[in-house]
Amino acid sequence: MSMLRIRLIVLLAIALICADRTYAAESKQQITVFAAASLTEPMTEFGENYATATGVEVRFSFASSSTLARQIEAGALPDVFFSANSQWMDYLTERDLITQNSRTKLLSNQIVLAAPLNSPLHAFALNRQTKLSDMLKSGERIAMGDPEHVPAGIYSAAGLRHLGLWEEIAPLLARTDNTRAALALVERGEAPLGFIYATDAAISKRVQVLAHMPTGAHQPIRYEAAILEPENRRAAAFLNYFDRTDTLNTFLRYGFRPYVEEFANE
Amino acid sequence: MGLSNAEIVALLLSLKVSSVAVLIALPFAIVVAEILARWRFPGRAFVDGLVHLPLILPPVVMGYLLLITFGAKAPLGHWLAETIGIRFMFSWTGAALAAAIVTFPFQVRSIRLALEAIDPGLRDAAETLGAGPLDRFFSITLPLALPGIIAGAITAFAASLGEFGAIITFVSNIPGETRTLPLAIYSALQSPDGESIAARLAGLSILLAFFGLALSEIAASRVRRMMER
Repeated sequence: MSMLRIRLIVLLAIALICADRTYAAESKQQITVFAAASLTEPMTEFGENYATATGVEVRFSFASSSTLARQIEAGALPDVFFSANSQWMDYLTERDLITQNSRTKLLSNQIVLAAPLNSPLHAFALNRQTKLSDMLKSGERIAMGDPEHVPAGIYSAAGLRHLGLWEEIAPLLARTDNTRAALALVERGEAPLGFIYATDAAISKRVQVLAHMPTGAHQPIRYEAAILEPENRRAAAFLNYFDRTDTLNTFLRYGFRPYVEEFANE
Repeated sequence: MGLSNAEIVALLLSLKVSSVAVLIALPFAIVVAEILARWRFPGRAFVDGLVHLPLILPPVVMGYLLLITFGAKAPLGHWLAETIGIRFMFSWTGAALAAAIVTFPFQVRSIRLALEAIDPGLRDAAETLGAGPLDRFFSITLPLALPGIIAGAITAFAASLGEFGAIITFVSNIPGETRTLPLAIYSALQSPDGESIAARLAGLSILLAFFGLALSEIAASRVRRMMER
């Protein structure tokens, strides 16, 4: 390669880096939010509304709660963290990585059994008499977030244990690393059945809900939020927005439920 | 190291998936390497690019492409299941297929270099002595390319042991069926108290890697001695 060409490439690289920095400096008013993958759609919509209302730009990182919690443990410093279960919030609280008194229980959700739209199966009531294995042909599996660590999978497995169906189902699972991957398998028809969040089923046009997991069958599904640094006013202001009805309504439209303590004691 | 049952299952599965992946891909890799090394034809650059695609594409994309090609609902996957009875979906054979395709470029590159290093005069001489193309291939080309073939196979084997993205996207993470070592490490890291398991499995992976390297060294020196004779 000629010297001239190398010089051109180096110049171009420097220009790109500078451009990126200028851009970042221009939007000083911004906060970073880590949120569970199942919150992606309503959270993105809310983030846009929040930016319009307050001028503060919201940057999101969506991943499984476990991945995000590990990143925070490793030193990542978002302003706010939304977890799909309490377990990972407890984990971070124990390590003094979040502000304990900012922990808020915000939303709840429900586990449903979904099937592809063209499935020959009909809606039914999930109970102790249900024979899920009869609904599978040989080689077919039920998609579900890995019950060892994915919150949606943990709730589903607990519910199935409660109904006495777990022993039959456990060897027939296709375990995915998040609940959206389970949804994708059902959408494609690769898995004829899948246990996913009601909210996952609601955003997909390619699946139908066959049955609901009875709510008393597992611990209530609890989405929690917390801010990391106690003096972070911008983060606190963002979290305060969740007390407003219009914020809550954004999430309710996507199938989430408000979290209420009475519901927890069912 | 006191491995648990599940960890031994993951280790053995990794070895099985990687061995099968290398063995399935090897004959194809030799043919493709021979074509790229010796033939000149329009579209050769395209074939070359296609072979290297898995090296450049994100593994998740490979997994997705496999899913829409070899999935039970995909035309090719459906046809294979109906006619030959091979199902890749949610099965260790699918993991092996993913590893085979993702590590295919390693084999082709290594074999191709070995083929290109062969003096064409040797084959021409054999031809004048009346050896047919198949005879020339098996008695001259193949033995001379052996070091490259072995090196390629071992590199591909080692790379297969580490394949993660394509496997988890294509055939998901089923203990005893598709949960290879990297998937087991990933799963362990996802639960709050899984760090010690992950650390142990990571140690095991490092041991395996050294074992693979030692194996390739031994193989290389054996081949060198064989060639000197």
